Amino acid sequence: MTPLLQVEKLRKAFGTHEVLRGIDLQVNRGEVICIVGPSGSGKSTLLRCLNHLEKPTGGAVFLMGEPVGLRWKGRSLHEMTFNELARQRQRMGMVFQGFHLFPHKTALENVVEAPIIVKGVPRAQAEAEAMTLLDKVGMRDRAHYYPAQLSGGQQQRTAIARSLAMKPDLMLFDEPTSALDPELVGEVLATMRHLADEGMTMVVVTHEMGFARDVADHLVFMDGGVIVEEGKPSEVLINPRHDRTRAFLSRVISET
Amino acid sequence: MKRPAPSADRPSIHDIRPVPARNVGQWLGGAVLLAMGLLFLQILVTNGNMKWPVVADYLFDAKILAGLGMTLLLTVLAMVLGLAIGMVLAIMRLSSGRVFQWISWVWIWFFRGVPPLVQMIFWYNLALLLPEISIGIPFGPKLVSWNTNDLITPFTAAIMGLAFTESAYAAEMIRAGIQAVNPGQTEAAATLGMTRAQVLRRIVLPQALRIVIPPIGNDTISMLKFTSLVSVLALPDLLYSAQMIYARTYQTIPLLIVATLWYLLLTTVLTICEHMIEHRLKAAPGQKTRFWDLRFFPRHRSTHQSAEVQP
Ligand SMILES: Nc1ncnc2c1ncn2[C@@H]1O[C@H](COP(=O)(O)OP(=O)(O)OP(=O)(O)O)[C@@H](O)[C@H]1O
Ligand SMILES: [Mg+2]
Repeated sequence: MTPLLQVEKLRKAFGTHEVLRGIDLQVNRGEVICIVGPSGSGKSTLLRCLNHLEKPTGGAVFLMGEPVGLRWKGRSLHEMTFNELARQRQRMGMVFQGFHLFPHKTALENVVEAPIIVKGVPRAQAEAEAMTLLDKVGMRDRAHYYPAQLSGGQQQRTAIARSLAMKPDLMLFDEPTSALDPELVGEVLATMRHLADEGMTMVVVTHEMGFARDVADHLVFMDGGVIVEEGKPSEVLINPRHDRTRAFLSRVISET
Repeated sequence: MKRPAPSADRPSIHDIRPVPARNVGQWLGGAVLLAMGLLFLQILVTNGNMKWPVVADYLFDAKILAGLGMTLLLTVLAMVLGLAIGMVLAIMRLSSGRVFQWISWVWIWFFRGVPPLVQMIFWYNLALLLPEISIGIPFGPKLVSWNTNDLITPFTAAIMGLAFTESAYAAEMIRAGIQAVNPGQTEAAATLGMTRAQVLRRIVLPQALRIVIPPIGNDTISMLKFTSLVSVLALPDLLYSAQMIYARTYQTIPLLIVATLWYLLLTTVLTICEHMIEHRLKAAPGQKTRFWDLRFFPRHRSTHQSAEVQP
């Protein structure tokens, strides 16, 4: 069976600064992968390369066997335009550290926007589905609030619902709780746990070690643009084999 | 802590409101300016040359009202066209296509640099340069052609001069507005699978326009006054209609006052609209605002003065 997402020898440089130096990663359907690592190790860059918000400078990402952002024409390989990429991007939902809800639209309007204009779903059906999703993330009673009227946790849960509305095959999370006040982190993590339990495939960059330990099927530790160590969270967290992993974990755990 | 006991000749500090601090300089200056204003008003009203009865006669004259309509039509058309072109220019300027960027830059450079009055005269005399305007295959056969003099009336020349000038300013405003929108908005929309046009139309432009609306309001007021330039093309706007009447009756000052009153009325109406829109935009989304919340002369209080003294 082809994996849902396959990353091969992925490289990314900003100018001469090499941020990703050959990443290989495989994500199977239904798996939850957590990526941890020190600041600046390239976690966000890796996630953004998966859906081509950043254009990799080497290697490739395959979504169900198809290269992301690239297409074969006979024997030559062509970059896709923004609009050609749109089709692949809608299969990978993404949740950002800064939420990025559309401020001029209510929570409900945020959620129905893409299904209606991208997929052409009739408005009544889109709204019914959106209300179900908002209910799932605990935002039903705030459906008609604007982002400015919502707390950070509420905004992030709405953002998750917005991504889910496109029925993606895969969800990418880039430190979804880092911008939240400590007492709001739990509600967002609970929503994500719930999503994982339902079998959603997820790639999560996080500093929440508890979440990684409990929810991840596979834990990846990155440092300096490479994957230093990976495996079952219980193994990596309890018996790290590399000094760098050990140093990182002791630092993170002493903080919390 | 021990409080000083209220003395016999003075009430307790807790029972009395303090007298607000007075700014003597502000009072004096204000009085002088007020006196000067009244004097000026008196000259206006009592000076016989103002001929207020004549002003009243012509204020609602059919020609004046027709001129007023023309002024409004010019303002609206020039703004609509100018904003539409400006929007296209802004998008071209921000696109990754080099040719688009350059064409947009040259257009903005040219039409910001040439005075609208010069442009209008130039457009009106376009026939001297291009006697015929045709649509066809470039460097190939013509499909349709028009005589330039039929196409370019004083009205089209005026609209071109005003709208093209506005387009250059609008382009810069809209570009700044688009750039002020958080790039995360575009990324979020992209990950939802929107195309470039959808991102622009549904997500970026609505937010950019919110930023750009106050300066557009300002431009509309300027445009209303700029339309008076069209009198050089003998286009009967408000000013030219007044000029035509006083050329016949020699009532120069009263008719200029008629035009002035109408211009002031229109700018006042536009200013109120602008305030209302700005007020609404400043409110948090979803918060209802009412017209009477408007404050044209908000009081600037320093905090220590606004602290209420509890009874
Ligand atoms: N657009 C960019 N241009 C230039 N350099 C960049 C850009 N984006 C990221 N970088 C650099 O790439 C490196 C990795 O950044 P990245 O955001 O991927 O780290 P991260 O692991 O997500 O860190 P954090 O935990 O702080 O979010 C950093 O040194 C950063 O300065
Ligand atoms: Mg990051």
